[in-house]
Amino acid sequence: MLEACKISYAHKKFSILENIDVSVNYGELLVIVGPNGAGKSTLLSMLANEMKHGEEPITFKKKTFEEWDQKELPLHKAKFSQQNSNDIPLTVTDVVMMGRYPYFNSVPHQTDLDAVMKSMEETDVLSMKDRDYNTLSGGERQRVHLARVLAQLENNIAHKLVFLDEPLNNLDVLHQHKILHTIKNFTELGNTAIVVLHDLNLAAQFADQVLLLKKGKIVSHDKPEKVFTKEIISKVYNFPCTICLNPVNQNPLIIFGT
Amino acid sequence: MQNKLPLYLFLSLLLLLILATAALYMGVYEFEKHSFFEIFKALINDDNSISESDKFVLMDLRLPRIVMAILIGSALSVSGTCLQGMFKNPLASPDLIGITSGAILLGAITIVLGTHIKPYIPEVFHFSLLSIAAFLGALLTMTIVYRISTSNGKTNVVVMLLSGVAVTAMAFSTTGFLIYLSKEEELRDLTFWNLGSLGGATWTKNAILAVVIVVAFSFLITKGKALNAMMLGERDAQHLGIPVEKIKKRIIILTALLVGTCVAFSGNIGFVGLIVPYILRLIFKSNYHIILPMSAVFGSILLLTADTISRTIAAPSEIPIGILTAFMGAPIFIAILIRSKKSM
Repeated sequence: MLEACKISYAHKKFSILENIDVSVNYGELLVIVGPNGAGKSTLLSMLANEMKHGEEPITFKKKTFEEWDQKELPLHKAKFSQQNSNDIPLTVTDVVMMGRYPYFNSVPHQTDLDAVMKSMEETDVLSMKDRDYNTLSGGERQRVHLARVLAQLENNIAHKLVFLDEPLNNLDVLHQHKILHTIKNFTELGNTAIVVLHDLNLAAQFADQVLLLKKGKIVSHDKPEKVFTKEIISKVYNFPCTICLNPVNQNPLIIFGT
Repeated sequence: MQNKLPLYLFLSLLLLLILATAALYMGVYEFEKHSFFEIFKALINDDNSISESDKFVLMDLRLPRIVMAILIGSALSVSGTCLQGMFKNPLASPDLIGITSGAILLGAITIVLGTHIKPYIPEVFHFSLLSIAAFLGALLTMTIVYRISTSNGKTNVVVMLLSGVAVTAMAFSTTGFLIYLSKEEELRDLTFWNLGSLGGATWTKNAILAVVIVVAFSFLITKGKALNAMMLGERDAQHLGIPVEKIKKRIIILTALLVGTCVAFSGNIGFVGLIVPYILRLIFKSNYHIILPMSAVFGSILLLTADTISRTIAAPSEIPIGILTAFMGAPIFIAILIRSKKSM
């Protein structure tokens, strides 16, 4: 559904990404992992059409982003960014409602209100719906924006695409798992998700495919059990590790340290 | 909340109408007939039952002035609200970031240098000449301030305010210099400009203002959702299908047009674009979907009230309206500074 060839990006002669080829299929949950400065967020930004990429166009559902109708595109894809805007003097519901902006002109329809309620329930922010966004903690804000992104893609269109840049930052264990289950359910309906994660074990548990980046280059792009091997991980992260089978769910379990 | 917008708008328009009617009665001149209904009826029927002086005061002095207060108040406060949305800061108002000063600077130059060509062109173009100069001044300053203070969609508030100070200083010194060069008639124009007044209201000016406002508002008023989304950051707004760059360009051009035209006709009336959105934010939070259309009405209410006070409080003389708006605006400026001390 999303295909990109030869993505390169350099900032002031310092190369951040070099010749990356990625393609993602329908219903796939692709997790991008890698050490700090590997270029994970930059790659995600490029794929989401936020900045200029190399000469080769990125195609989404066989069309380049330029060929898409700009009003139609937000119904098919959404992105959750690492939040840096901390001053939004609105209520939580108002912020989540922004996800429905592509759907209505002036007054939200009933479907918009329903979508907002549903997504707030999924990310557990319904109880704070009338609170000021600015009074929330980091993790709560994170969940409000996740609700906004979910609300944006709440429609009948098949094969949607969501980009998530470290959605689990600041979240407690319960919400980490809850959010990942929500994403997993989303992809099981035939949609696609591309997620940047730091936690390798969560990646191993939920990902269909893992893309391991280091210094702007792809080290490995394969199924989790192929990527998470002792040799690859300890070399890429420059830290000794042991990998065994998770006794609960039979996924690779990565334990760092000797 | 969003569904109640028409109700709020209706109520505030009603308030504006009551205030405007009240303002017609206020003033040094007392009408011979005390009911306006009678006067208007006589005007429509064109009979001679009303005196010439009644007719003149009503149709050529009070009414145009009231209409001008409504138009300019609305234009200034909507441009303030739009700028605040674009700069993502409640301190961005046309006067604080120097746009008014930029308009005054080019306008003042036109007043002094333009006298040589003025006798040869009709009256309509006098206003247009000044308006165009003020518009260009506003547009130029706006572009410069935005370029200096904003990078990657983030505005450095301190730089934004300081570039406003710089432009204001430049405009102040230039107008000061021009005062020494100018002849008596130009001097009067310059002083009027610096203090701001609605005393020069005429129907021609009102017509030009109305056209500019209709053009600008038809694009700006509906952009509440876009300005809300831009609070998320410009990239996230783009993911919601908001054409951010296009909207920013239009806001820059249209607010420059609004501010330039207002300055050309009424001089330096400060702080309207700061006071109105501030008050509305206290009631409706920063939901631009509501405060943008509301600011159009409340700007009118504020300036109409201020103008009525300015011409009645020290009657028969008139105090410049800029003094009144600054009197209200400065404390609000300080209040916002204290509030946003941490985030600057």
